[in-house]
Amino acid sequence: MKFLNNMTLGQYVPVDSSIHSLDPRCKIIATIVCLTGVFLVSGPYGFLSWGLFFALMVMLSRLSGGLILSTSRPVWILIAFTSIIHLFFTQGTPVFSWGILKITHEGLEMAARMGLRLLMLVLFAGFLTLTTSPTELADGLESLFSPLKRFGFPAHELAMMMTIALRFIPTLLNETERIMKAQIARGADLDRGGPLRRLRAFMPVLVPLFVIVFQRADDLATAMEARNYTGGEGRTRMYPLRWSIADTATLMLTVLFAVAVTLLEKRLMA
Amino acid sequence: MSIAVRDLVHVYHPGTPLETKALDGVTFEAAKGIWVAVVGHTGSGKSTLAQHLNGLLLPSGGSVSIDGVTIRSGEDSLRVVRQKVGLVFQYPEQQLFEETVFQEVAFGPKNWGFPPDEIKYEVEKSLSQVGIGPEFFGVNPFRLSGGQKRRVAIASVLSSRPDYLVLDEPTAGLDSAGKRQLLALLLDLKALGKGIVHVTHDMDLALGLADIVLVLDEGKSLLWGPPELILGELLEHDIRGLVIPPMVRFAGKLRDLGFEVPLTWDPVRLADAICRSRRP
Repeated sequence: MKFLNNMTLGQYVPVDSSIHSLDPRCKIIATIVCLTGVFLVSGPYGFLSWGLFFALMVMLSRLSGGLILSTSRPVWILIAFTSIIHLFFTQGTPVFSWGILKITHEGLEMAARMGLRLLMLVLFAGFLTLTTSPTELADGLESLFSPLKRFGFPAHELAMMMTIALRFIPTLLNETERIMKAQIARGADLDRGGPLRRLRAFMPVLVPLFVIVFQRADDLATAMEARNYTGGEGRTRMYPLRWSIADTATLMLTVLFAVAVTLLEKRLMA
Repeated sequence: MSIAVRDLVHVYHPGTPLETKALDGVTFEAAKGIWVAVVGHTGSGKSTLAQHLNGLLLPSGGSVSIDGVTIRSGEDSLRVVRQKVGLVFQYPEQQLFEETVFQEVAFGPKNWGFPPDEIKYEVEKSLSQVGIGPEFFGVNPFRLSGGQKRRVAIASVLSSRPDYLVLDEPTAGLDSAGKRQLLALLLDLKALGKGIVHVTHDMDLALGLADIVLVLDEGKSLLWGPPELILGELLEHDIRGLVIPPMVRFAGKLRDLGFEVPLTWDPVRLADAICRSRRP
């Protein structure tokens, strides 16, 4: 149950910092640039450069390193699993073999590359949600997608759905924790036994959780409708987005950095 | 034989920007056959305290012991403690999941490893205690009314034969008839020798029913004692978010004017005292 207490995925931490005060559109585009950049590098220099860039961003955001790392905790198992698969199933020059298990030089490289890439993707994405409130995020996305509205793209509806989904992650985690505690208090043993036993033991948590989720979704829809929510048409904003020089500068620097790292790495690897 | 809490401290998310001290040196005791009300405003640490009494949360500092067994992590004592202290969460009906009322109430005893005949006995006894008749035993709990669901959920805690019952806002969301029935049930359980720890923000309920009241404020135990002894201090402190019953404030005003009346929440006792009081 500990992972529920320590989970920060999708949770905004309000701090007065230069990163927090950037326009959400700038942060979204910069994050996409960073994610693309991480995908384009494959060697140690590239990952090191992005690591240093990320550390600089964290320093500017005034958030603690521990909190940032904890955002990736839920996907550590996935990262480890992916790395292990690549470690053992990549063909190439063997470095070590034990029975049918064989580790190759290429496998080691691939495992490190995929692990680091996944970790950085999660960290950058997590950093966006830690420094941007769900409302800002949705407003930013809506604004970025608005040119597509003329083709019938539901920009506002998508943004609203995303806000609600992000907003409900912590709520649902709290609900899950509450139900788990209620069942543990009645003697349920959720932590012992094999995977099948654990899955069966989780039924007392899953059934009430599903009931609550549907109930909440229904209540929310009714409450929104009762307050005359009919979609984005004619809806005004409390805080209109403002793009400043700092946003232009940040975005340009990020793009320049991504291009520079990609090109330099290509040259170093050549 | 009691629940003993000593200098209990609880910190959520230690070492992160979200770090919050929910409990800060809380000390109190709850014995069998005694009704303790834990009152405080929202965020005063009541629910955190309730979870400590059942070992769902472990102390960041201080200690909690049940009948002399100190709650510690990773020990089998945790299992013993959880059976001794039944915890009823707010809106307990949201924990229901089984296909029938009988199976729902049997969930706890099965987890504790009761033999089948004992399970049957405990399930029938607890359901009868909460006023759910045999005609409901085979019914799907999701088909029951709100009040019935609440009673089934409470029976599902009682069926584990706890010595103490910790209830977090048990009357929340119930109509006045449901509230009365539930409180009468808790009084019966107290008479049977169970220790009741009732977490509430409702001062009227706490003063009217509890033998001892613990007032929490910002995670600290502010007042602790029988209702009639803490009332004076309660009026003086004017604790944020706690509504002092109008009757008590009325009695306080009369005393300020020189009437010799007791500080009480009981209108009949106050009226009696006013009739006998001599205006100065």
